[in-house]
Amino acid sequence: MTRYIFQRLLQAIPLLFIISLILFILMMNMGDPVATMGGRQATRPADRIRLTRQLGLDQPGWKQYLFWLIGNDWTKVDMDGDGTRESPGTRRGVLRGDFGTSLVKRGVPVTSVIWERLPNTLILMIASEVIIILGALLIGVYSALRQYSLMDNTITAFSFIGYSMPIFFVALLSMYIFGVLFKRWGLPYLPTVGMFDPKVGKTVGQVALHMVLPVLSISLISFAAYSRYIRSTMLEVMSQDYVRTAKSKGLPRREVVYVHALKNAALPLVTIIGLDLPLLLGGAVVTERIFAWPGMGRLFLDHVSRSDMPVVMGILMMISVAVVVFQLITDVAYAWLDPRIRYE
Amino acid sequence: MSRRQLAYSLLTLLMIASFALASCGAPATQAPIVETEAPAIEQPAEQPTQAPVEEPTEPPAAEPAEKKVATFIWTQEFDTLNPYYTDMWFSTVTHQVWNCWAWNFNDRNEAIPYLVAELPSSENGGVSEDGTTITMKLRDDLVWSDGTPLTSADFIFTYEMVMDPNNTVASTDPYDKVASMEAPDERTVVITFAEPYAPWVGTLWKGLLPQHVLQPEFDTNGNINEAAWNSEPTVGCGPYVFAEWESGSYARFIVNDNYWEAKPKIDEIFFTFVPDDASQVAAMQAGDGDLGTFIAYSDVPTLQDAGIEIRTVFSGYNEGIFFVINDTNGEPTLPEKADSPVRELAVRKAIAMSIDRASIASDLLLGLTGVPASYWDSLPFYNTPPLENYPYDPDAAMQILEEAGWVDNNGDGIREKDGRDLHVTYGTTIREIRQDTQAVVQQQLREIGIDVELLTYESDIFFAGMDDDGPAASGDIDLMQWSDSSNFPDPDYYYWYCSEIPTPDYPQGGNWQYYCNEELDGLFATQASQVDPAERQKTFQRINQIFYDEVVWLGMWQDPDLWALGSRLDNVKLSGVTPLYSITEWDLTE
Repeated sequence: MTRYIFQRLLQAIPLLFIISLILFILMMNMGDPVATMGGRQATRPADRIRLTRQLGLDQPGWKQYLFWLIGNDWTKVDMDGDGTRESPGTRRGVLRGDFGTSLVKRGVPVTSVIWERLPNTLILMIASEVIIILGALLIGVYSALRQYSLMDNTITAFSFIGYSMPIFFVALLSMYIFGVLFKRWGLPYLPTVGMFDPKVGKTVGQVALHMVLPVLSISLISFAAYSRYIRSTMLEVMSQDYVRTAKSKGLPRREVVYVHALKNAALPLVTIIGLDLPLLLGGAVVTERIFAWPGMGRLFLDHVSRSDMPVVMGILMMISVAVVVFQLITDVAYAWLDPRIRYE
Repeated sequence: MSRRQLAYSLLTLLMIASFALASCGAPATQAPIVETEAPAIEQPAEQPTQAPVEEPTEPPAAEPAEKKVATFIWTQEFDTLNPYYTDMWFSTVTHQVWNCWAWNFNDRNEAIPYLVAELPSSENGGVSEDGTTITMKLRDDLVWSDGTPLTSADFIFTYEMVMDPNNTVASTDPYDKVASMEAPDERTVVITFAEPYAPWVGTLWKGLLPQHVLQPEFDTNGNINEAAWNSEPTVGCGPYVFAEWESGSYARFIVNDNYWEAKPKIDEIFFTFVPDDASQVAAMQAGDGDLGTFIAYSDVPTLQDAGIEIRTVFSGYNEGIFFVINDTNGEPTLPEKADSPVRELAVRKAIAMSIDRASIASDLLLGLTGVPASYWDSLPFYNTPPLENYPYDPDAAMQILEEAGWVDNNGDGIREKDGRDLHVTYGTTIREIRQDTQAVVQQQLREIGIDVELLTYESDIFFAGMDDDGPAASGDIDLMQWSDSSNFPDPDYYYWYCSEIPTPDYPQGGNWQYYCNEELDGLFATQASQVDPAERQKTFQRINQIFYDEVVWLGMWQDPDLWALGSRLDNVKLSGVTPLYSITEWDLTE
């Protein structure tokens, strides 16, 4: 197993290299980071020329990628625009752990920009994922055990209604009902925006309170996909011979369902969760924007809209690495769940 | 331990770790305690400035009931707080809260002395006769929030930092026009421009850098690009001082105890970042915000129904259509686009007369604004006598086109001339109101036989330079729409000069109209050096007339800033240039 993991990690190196190259080429064509500098007017030409030079954006694409990858501290750059490269470069490159500095928050390291937001996203997304998985397991197993019953049909109908609703609609509707109307009616109400009330502070209670609506919105639209998947795999497993054997042995129903059936039905579910987990790092762009949740989704959106290549590349590479790692973890989990699988 | 128990344990640990990460991983950039020299008697006991907050994540101490805390909702988060490292409106308008300009602008957009004892003028000897030298006399009671005296050395330092080639400031304008800057004493700053420079009131000293904080950083690193002060400006010169900035959430400012003028009535200000328009509206409705801005026109009735006051503040911006005239003294600037219909004055006039701009302003913009006839509509002094708008008259527009030879021969509803259709492209950015307008304009121009192809871009693509294939800069769009302002309240613009036309050697050029008119070129150069307002006014009278006669630009609507004022806010006055200039007088009532 150790050898297998080592091999997979080695294989990931060229893969990540190719991903970074493709992403960099795409980002180069995304827009001009100095077009407006966040202002309401186009940047003055003299400033555009100066900033393009100072930020190294006037260099050919291959050179910008090279500097991003291995840094530019081995060469000199022209900061004053006199045509002579007089100032030593300061970047160490991604391979040496330097993702550069943000073009928007000029001077702030990309890692700091990301680290400020990553935990906020993780808490929101992990809570949502846990609720989605637990809820979907309950609904999926229940529906499978009572196939075509009134409850099964009702749950199916509601889960599909949730699935077909756009998240911005669910988010805004829940915000208006539980944040605005409840307050107007004198009922206990939930906060509309933010991660906590700044006047109170970042306490666990405040964060939990502010999480309710975003988690509800994310979960509501995601229950259906997971629960339908669990329902169908459970139905398939429940008709297997070994389940019939377990039943005929007189095992309690609970043990048949949860030990024999669900464990085997969960195997494909691990694949889905394994694919979903790294994407949690990217946050929920729409939900974070609507609820003003200071997470990665909003960070990505804010910096993409201003073509902040270093930050966007940092986020995308982090997700790429996470995908590779979680794929590996998924494969290892397979072997753990199913002794028939061996990676030798 | 069974596998199930193990799984539960892992899950629980994961959740706990997440909470811990959320609480500890993203510390607010929090100010150290500000040493104050203010007498204790002036310091209210409950003032939060004295409460040391050592743990970034620790909630502020329990609030006394009488403490006044205002929450302003910003739809965009600051990129940086260093005044010279950003062009972002949401950052620059905070300067009157915590930083300082040499002079502010009141609710009539008139300059009022702030750091200077009086505004330099010809009468008081502050402006030299030839218009090249500005002499500023500073007040003698200025101090930074940490008690350090604020002197002319800070102005010289600010100038040097802006001009230093290692500092990636957003703009060096107008400091790159300065020949020399001197500080003969602690209270005097003498600025000498290489040429007479009229727009100095609208462009100089939009913020100040504290030399005693940033000089050591500059001496160590050779630049101030990574200075902590840029995102944690713990030392300021406004009525408030920076307290903390929680990324993505809010920034907090508390009363500056060393402020040299009357103390503000509100104790703390939170700028909370709510990026979604609809969420901003909901937050205002729920009473979670006292002030909102950049309100979408479509949200105005909802907010007014909730008892929220809407203020329209004119800030010099006018939304308009820029035509790619593609003309250099009669010849096409871009020969490959010589057959563009909008090169013809008749077509531009017909377009001006066939768009019902008044209806757009009243229907789409709810009558909150009007239609500008002049490019300098928001500066009445430079629009004297005021221009009259082209009337909405589709019949007359069709007549003009007929006379110019544009007729519909094949009956497809689109006019032709010399075998080509009267087809134009019309591009703008993704702002919702612009897309609504595009649809209306397309329909109205179609009615007089002009085929309009709509194009929409993200702003960083739309405004990209010619070297980045920016569609506007490359002359690819016949009708370009955006909102723009001069160096308001100064009328100067840089991008109408012939020399600003983009070329392969100068792809950054700002004259995206590809329009070169020798007379206009001379007039723009003249006005920039006319320090006598009356003379300058005459020059603008002629510029205005050329703009009107040649239909160089077509005003769509005056583009004011829309502010939403919650019911608690009292005594609010807003300026178009420095909106929060009277923040010390604002109050909160229950």
